[in-house]
Amino acid sequence: MTWFTWRQFRTPAWIAAVALAAVAVVLVIMGHSLADQWAASGAATCHADCGNAIAAFLEQVTSGANGVVFQVAVVLVYAVPPLIGMFWGAPLIARELEAGTHRLAWNQSVTRTRWLATKLTIVGTASAATTGLLSWAVTASAHHIDSTKMPRITPLIYGARGIVPIGYALFAFALGVTMGMLIRRTVPAMAATLGVYVVAVGSMPLWIRGRLVPARHTTTPLDITRLDELLISDSGARMRVVSGTTSGNGWVLANNTITTTGDVFTGPANPQYCGQDHGPRACIDWVGSLGLRQDLSYQPASHFWSLQWAETGIFLAAAVLLVGFCFWWTRRRLT
Amino acid sequence: MSGAVLQAEGLSKRYGRRMALSDCTLSIPPGHVVGLVGPNGAGKTTLLQIAVGMLGPTSGTMEVLGGRPAAGPTQLAKVGFVAQETPTYAGLSIADHLRFGAHTNPRWDQQLADDRIAKLGLDPSQKAGKLSGGQRAQLALTLAIAKRPELLILDEPVASLDPLARREFLQSLMGFIADHGASVILSSHLVSDLERVCDYLIVLVASRVRVAGEVEDLLATHYRITGARRDPADLPAGTEVIEDSHTDRQSTLIVRSAVPIDDPTLAVEQITLEDLVLAYMTQASLSTRPALESTR
Repeated sequence: MTWFTWRQFRTPAWIAAVALAAVAVVLVIMGHSLADQWAASGAATCHADCGNAIAAFLEQVTSGANGVVFQVAVVLVYAVPPLIGMFWGAPLIARELEAGTHRLAWNQSVTRTRWLATKLTIVGTASAATTGLLSWAVTASAHHIDSTKMPRITPLIYGARGIVPIGYALFAFALGVTMGMLIRRTVPAMAATLGVYVVAVGSMPLWIRGRLVPARHTTTPLDITRLDELLISDSGARMRVVSGTTSGNGWVLANNTITTTGDVFTGPANPQYCGQDHGPRACIDWVGSLGLRQDLSYQPASHFWSLQWAETGIFLAAAVLLVGFCFWWTRRRLT
Repeated sequence: MSGAVLQAEGLSKRYGRRMALSDCTLSIPPGHVVGLVGPNGAGKTTLLQIAVGMLGPTSGTMEVLGGRPAAGPTQLAKVGFVAQETPTYAGLSIADHLRFGAHTNPRWDQQLADDRIAKLGLDPSQKAGKLSGGQRAQLALTLAIAKRPELLILDEPVASLDPLARREFLQSLMGFIADHGASVILSSHLVSDLERVCDYLIVLVASRVRVAGEVEDLLATHYRITGARRDPADLPAGTEVIEDSHTDRQSTLIVRSAVPIDDPTLAVEQITLEDLVLAYMTQASLSTRPALESTR
């Protein structure tokens, strides 16, 4: 069964291997180039006040090819798991059911359970390996950018780093297999796989990931020199004040300005300082005199790996449940 | 019971509200080439799929060669199956198919497989998707045969083949039976396909087994009798009327009787296997159309 599964899978496996090798070459080139730019900008050797050096480095990155490669690499790591689900997972069983070849396979001296187990093991391992290698290569080659421009714990980057892509890929694969088994047609199964995958993975940064590890919570006096927003409604009855965050805050979940009583500050604005007739300075100073505090809830960069393990665990558990269902369905219901 | 190739006890299969098989009880002795005949939708495929473990019954039991169908590798190794439409992997070559068989079957006979492919004049490197229907059926048969099963089951293997391919397929099947002496069950909706190869017949109509037995016995116990018009009930005891048709003066009956019919007022003749099957199919179709026909 192993030989036969490999025989069926070898073309897609070769395509993936060649594509992965090509991506690796590009990433190695980018990695070297980034290291050169990192050294040239002085960021590598500076000890204090590296701001200018890093700014120069990022300026050089974004204006050159490395910026494009970096962005494409992020998109690629996000795209590979759903592609695996659609092109390796969904057809794995659906194509056999569509062509009726499962009736040929199941009548060799191999039980259905072993037939399914072999397929899942070989293609599942390839899925995990492909995504793992890709994620590792991207994580390794882009770390100068991750450490300066955008912390890798922010949602946009997070899903394309570390081990979470492996969890995504195995989940997508198991999902594809399940959909193919239930829908019994390759193309609709591919569409269903993509739909469910997008909902599942998309819901993580929106509702779930922020709670996987207890968020850090800080309340500090409002720093009026770092205000991001100061909005006043036309009547002056409502105000919105938002103070800025630093990259040390990592992924900011909530950023509220609260009053001395702990409620979110909503105004009203004092017309004596704030309004059309006054400059912004007077209003800001007035805001500073109210004793407001900045209430922050965030996942600091140090939570990166605990979040990665937790989220990977969730997707692996989902994959295991799906695989368990596949075995049950194959043994009891599939004809 | 002992040594039965296939033993079914009160076997039923329901799909939603439709019964595909109703209360089938069968015991097929070993060493036969069994023809399973019935119109399309009679339940032939369902019966055979239960026998190979592709389907589970709704109720009743089925034992094949003394074991539960598809219970494990040993049971699977004993039964060869050629599915309807003879599915093969379109993207894989004939040689790949044979290697698949070699890797997954403990009693695989590579020599037999190679010889058969060579005899058929097929190029082993050819993709299965490029084969004609007849060649594909031959490939599927080769896989099933080289597995060296004790029982070979074929579901409508020749239904989609042209007459020439049909004859060649049945010839190679006969060749296998002659060489290896395995039991064979094959289904068809045409008696003519089965007549030349089978020595045991099962007629399955509208989900029920109507008659089953050795062809020789069936032919020896079924008669067509013609005589003056008479009531079908008015016949010697032990005679079962399968089909009756009447004109104003004459009655023609097809009957089953264990003893020879010895009545000088009747013309008694032997019937062909085709007539016999048709009589059972007619009987079944009348019994499923109750009101109108029975009040006549």
